[in-house]
Amino acid sequence: MRHPYRHASSSRALFAAVAATAVLVACSSSAKPSSSASSHAPLKIGISLSLTGDFSDPGKSAERGYRLWADTVNAKGGILGRKVQLSIVDDTSSPTQVVGNYQNLITKDHVDLTFGPFSSLLTIPASQVAKRYGYAFLEPAGGGPKVFAQHLHNLFFVQPAPVVKQGDVFADYILSLPAARRPKTAAYPALDDPFASPIADEVRTRLEAAGIKTVYQQIYPAEITDLTPVVSAMAAKKPDLVVGGTQADDAYRMVKAMVQLKWAPKLLYLSNGANDPHNFPGNVGASNVDGIFSSGDWFPSSNTYGNAGFLSAYTRKYGGTAGTIDSTSAEAYSCGQLLEEVAAKTGKVDNATLISALHTGSWQTLEGNLSWNADGAANSSYVLVQWISGKMLPVYPAGRAQHAPVIAALPWGG
Amino acid sequence: MHEAVQAVILGVLTGGVYALMASGQTLIFGVMKVVNLAQGALVILAAFLSHSLFTAWGVDPFLSVLIIAPLMFALGAAVQWLLLRPLHQDDAALLSLLVTFAVALGIEGALTVVYHTDYRTTRPAYVDRSWRIAGYQVGEVRLAAFALSLITLGGLWMLLSRTRFGRSVRATVQNPVAARLLGVETARVAALGFGLGAATAAAAGAVYGMVYSFNPNSHYDLISRLLSVVILGGLGSLGGTVVAALVMGVASSLVGALASPVWSDFSFFVVLLAVLLLRPQGLFGARLRGAL
Amino acid sequence: MRRRLGRYRRYGPGLAGLAGLAALVVFPLAVSAPWLVTVGLFTLMYAALASAWNLVGGYAGYPSLGHAAFFGMGAYAEAIWWTHRTAGSGYGPFWTLPPIGLAVAAVAVPVAWIAMRTRTDVFAIVTITFLFVVQTLAFNLRGLTGGAQGVAMPVAPFTPATFERPFYYAMLALLLLALAMSYGVLHSRLGLALTAVRGDEDKARSVGVPVGAAKLTAFALSVVVTAMAGGVWAYYLSFIYPQFAIDPLLSIGMVLMVFLGGRGTLWGPVLGAFVVAPAQQYLAYRFGASQLYLLAYAALFVVVMLVMPRGALPTLRDRIRRAEARA
Repeated sequence: MRHPYRHASSSRALFAAVAATAVLVACSSSAKPSSSASSHAPLKIGISLSLTGDFSDPGKSAERGYRLWADTVNAKGGILGRKVQLSIVDDTSSPTQVVGNYQNLITKDHVDLTFGPFSSLLTIPASQVAKRYGYAFLEPAGGGPKVFAQHLHNLFFVQPAPVVKQGDVFADYILSLPAARRPKTAAYPALDDPFASPIADEVRTRLEAAGIKTVYQQIYPAEITDLTPVVSAMAAKKPDLVVGGTQADDAYRMVKAMVQLKWAPKLLYLSNGANDPHNFPGNVGASNVDGIFSSGDWFPSSNTYGNAGFLSAYTRKYGGTAGTIDSTSAEAYSCGQLLEEVAAKTGKVDNATLISALHTGSWQTLEGNLSWNADGAANSSYVLVQWISGKMLPVYPAGRAQHAPVIAALPWGG
Repeated sequence: MHEAVQAVILGVLTGGVYALMASGQTLIFGVMKVVNLAQGALVILAAFLSHSLFTAWGVDPFLSVLIIAPLMFALGAAVQWLLLRPLHQDDAALLSLLVTFAVALGIEGALTVVYHTDYRTTRPAYVDRSWRIAGYQVGEVRLAAFALSLITLGGLWMLLSRTRFGRSVRATVQNPVAARLLGVETARVAALGFGLGAATAAAAGAVYGMVYSFNPNSHYDLISRLLSVVILGGLGSLGGTVVAALVMGVASSLVGALASPVWSDFSFFVVLLAVLLLRPQGLFGARLRGAL
Repeated sequence: MRRRLGRYRRYGPGLAGLAGLAALVVFPLAVSAPWLVTVGLFTLMYAALASAWNLVGGYAGYPSLGHAAFFGMGAYAEAIWWTHRTAGSGYGPFWTLPPIGLAVAAVAVPVAWIAMRTRTDVFAIVTITFLFVVQTLAFNLRGLTGGAQGVAMPVAPFTPATFERPFYYAMLALLLLALAMSYGVLHSRLGLALTAVRGDEDKARSVGVPVGAAKLTAFALSVVVTAMAGGVWAYYLSFIYPQFAIDPLLSIGMVLMVFLGGRGTLWGPVLGAFVVAPAQQYLAYRFGASQLYLLAYAALFVVVMLVMPRGALPTLRDRIRRAEARA
């Protein structure tokens, strides 16, 4: 669920190139012969990920998810008798490189299928290349409005719903409260990012329609290191509710600024960053998290299709505990689940079959049961979570909740 | 009005941290005419070191400065001695820009290998504390950071104006050839100056790690602001740098609170360009090599 | 023997250059693999950008770090003009490039007039500050640029097998334009004036060299090519974001290639681009997964600066000349 992004820098590819030249001189590269796609040849899947550069950590989480799925499916004998072979290449977080990479994968390495890249900002150029060559494009990371505005028939966003809808579950919860307990006023600070500010806009539209007054609304840039001025301006308007369209580190900054100013709204929702089980308490302090709402697509405790197997396989392969698994890994794994299901149902795994099959019916993944509209947006919903006694728990909708939402003063409030 | 005053308070405190970060860069420019693009990376490096000392051994971040500063001094002196000193004299200004950028990338690369790109914050027990003074909230760490800035800047000033080393530095700044004739070993002075500039990054980094969240990429956010502060202050002028840092801190805090944070940096950059147009030597610079 | 060598020195590089250009023209027809043509396309883009940068940074000695801003302006102008139009046959967006190049140059002249009040390192800082200003505008003028959401262009309707060709030839044309400009500047009074500026600007001014006009002309010429390259890039990607269109690392890339190949030479920037750009595309694809990347790069960069501070071509030329003198 993370879509990190930096303002000033995006690719270090150029510089890396000089270094890479040295590598080339040092090791003579052996070109792999590309195998023809016979029925027992391995099923080659091409993926470009950001393994160096700004998006590299989530890129690695995605890689772990893809590789875990490949191991799992190969242990079962592969797909339709074909072993899955992943070609994972690095796009150094650069759009120029990602286009070249998918072209390489499709026209040079002749992969059978492609999965989407990380990060979200690279999804659009990459999906155009897949479209050009008629490849299905299952992508776990790009769910902004412009991705779907491309109207690509071959694209499938493997998360419960477009990113815009991520805050809907919080709006649903607020509107489910009896009128007397609803907040009267709200503030909407949001990061200037295609995957953050639309969330706050959507919640604002719905809450305004229900009569909750907007008293503060602000966009802040990604490179802002200090949100204290924003929070102090917001505090002066005394909103009952703050809905932050946050991404990652800006969520930490917002909470830190509130703590510094000793100001807390009655309710605080942060779209992303606050749903990071490890880094959020690490950056804002474990004693400052209780009561904060967030939402997301996948959590270790989800009761979705195959989740128990995913958790045990993941911890067996990579160690650690279920609580440290990044949702990005689950998103990537889900792409593979879809492939398996389509193959099992239709007996085929070619791109045309994938595209037509996924556009009909509903398919099970770690992300829930998904079905897609013509533009590749899924029609499910996110889960509302809240930090309760130092743990992040699903609290809404009731069907997926493990605890009732708690309305209490935030820990640092006066 | 309350908002504006609160914003000014925050701006002054932030400006203090920036003054500390930029003072090293100003010193390095003053002594060697090197625009050090690695200053931001040095600050982030120090922030990571301080974070590690705190999480591994519980060393207080303010105390960790005493451990980190000598390391940073050695690193800075080494960079000057090994990488900048051998550069061709005619092109030294431009080449050093590129070399220090390479140093910044190298530091970023090393930090990425060791620490990955997750965000961190150094969180000693007192990090969330703040005082309420006449209705305004003042963070304890920020206030301490501001004090540390003043102490460090004061120390730098004393060093430059009261010691033999300081006199050699000033002589080198004013006229390298004459200084050499008078027996000042300018290459050694330059290495010491660079080391000293890097050492100030230790203090800045320890503070930065507590006030902000950071990862190895964070130096990109710093460097354009630091450069602007140094230029606005009139490259090489310590006093000018402090004033410029405060101007920047207050201006971006005010714009952020009263208008919109998306224009904070922009407004500062525009002021900077305007100053350069009207007064190419910066606000306080007596001389600015390279300007008309 | 001696005379023949002399004639070779006179015409040889030109002939070799022509042969190289002929090879570049034939390349996408001979090589059918789209991925290779893509590598060629980006290589030509960087070669054109480096050659254009060389006009200001190499000949005049004004190291602009702000050229990525003009690249981005070209990209945005192209994308904004076409975002609500249809590309038709697909060639339309190429014809809007020349006016865009000129328009961006018109914006660049007053910027350069202000920035060129400073020199060398300060000039570099002023221009990179300008870059950040432009990037901030691209983020904040949402009505015009779409802000952080980015802006989409129509996707070119070319057939997949030869999709890259038109973009490739557009970039090749830009490289030729940049080379023609460089050649023209080198062999004209403008070139003399720029050399004088690079040597000692104040002295040049005092003896009546039209310093200001020379600098601004070089800057404007350089920006025309840079902006048009941005336009082709935007059309090829068909979707642009502020942080990728106006990327400081693009500026640094131009500088790096020019320094690697040789500043103030006709072929140096091209050489630098032809080494760095394809290596980057191919090797990030093959070996990218190593985190040590940045470290190795930084080390090599420093070595290049220390060993060949003037770039490959001038260093080699000196070696040859010295060897001949000894012979």
